[in-house]
Amino acid sequence: MSELKQTILTSMEHVALIADCTLVENISDDTVLLQSGLDSLGFAMLVAQLEEELGVDPFSEMELAVYPRTLGEFVNVYSNALS
Amino acid sequence: MNSSLKSQKKSVVVTGASRGLGLAICTQLLQENYFVVAISRSLSEDLSRLCEEHKQSIAHISYDLADLNGIHALCKSITEAHGRPYGLVNNAAIGLDGVLATMHNSEISTLLDINVQAPILLSKYLSRSMMLNRTGRIINISSIIASTGFNGLSVYAASKAALEGFTRSLSREVGKAGITVNCVAPGYMQTEMTSSLQGDKLESVKRRSPLGRLASPADAASAVLYLMSEQAKSMTGTIMTVDAGSTA
Repeated sequence: MSELKQTILTSMEHVALIADCTLVENISDDTVLLQSGLDSLGFAMLVAQLEEELGVDPFSEMELAVYPRTLGEFVNVYSNALS
Repeated sequence: MNSSLKSQKKSVVVTGASRGLGLAICTQLLQENYFVVAISRSLSEDLSRLCEEHKQSIAHISYDLADLNGIHALCKSITEAHGRPYGLVNNAAIGLDGVLATMHNSEISTLLDINVQAPILLSKYLSRSMMLNRTGRIINISSIIASTGFNGLSVYAASKAALEGFTRSLSREVGKAGITVNCVAPGYMQTEMTSSLQGDKLESVKRRSPLGRLASPADAASAVLYLMSEQAKSMTGTIMTVDAGSTA
């Protein structure tokens, strides 16, 4: 597993804890984000947490609105922003 | 400043801090032991004096909120320098007095950028830090004009009504994260922004007020301080009017 993906998964667990959400088990690249257990507020917190950890908010930097559907797509958005 | 002392204080970002209501809000926040991040286009003499008197508890940032594209970076720099903010007071606004039919389109755009889009973007980026802290306060400065109307202030009124609608819906969105969102709607106050209101117009406003006077910036700032406090933890999505009763 890439270091970036691990960081994102760790942040998801942290955010789930403070947002009072329960993540589904065995989250993979194909897991649909909206079925991961985080609610929409939880995702806002995840983006905030990742901005503090990685120093980027790829969604604000993009010219067009992009909404990744799966975890794999979400990781790719961050991977592209950091490359 | 001493970092441990700074970390004990709740930090609050105030826009339009250089004069009038913004300055009064900064002054009262400092009196109540908050750390203030004061944003304004320029450093006025009064704000400069306040910074000098409270060196340990206030930081000034020069920023023109008409530059919407830089707001994300501004918020990032605030969080990096001063930690996650506890509160945000969206006070900065411009009030262009004029008949709509002859108002230039660029003036309408600038007013809406500063009065509506900038507070929305500041709330967007700074509420994220509040979400991670599971607590926060967003206070938007509206105006009684949002609900009463005033000849020559149609675009300003539209911007303030937008802010009130924004406040109500955002309070529903972020309440679960422990963040409250409220408005303070002052009536006419004697500030530089309302200096065009003179003579008969001013006397007429005073006469219509049950208290026979205008509310002061300090009166409106006190309402902001209350909404910022722990005592206001159960208030969200509200509009607090401070107008010496003129809309009663």
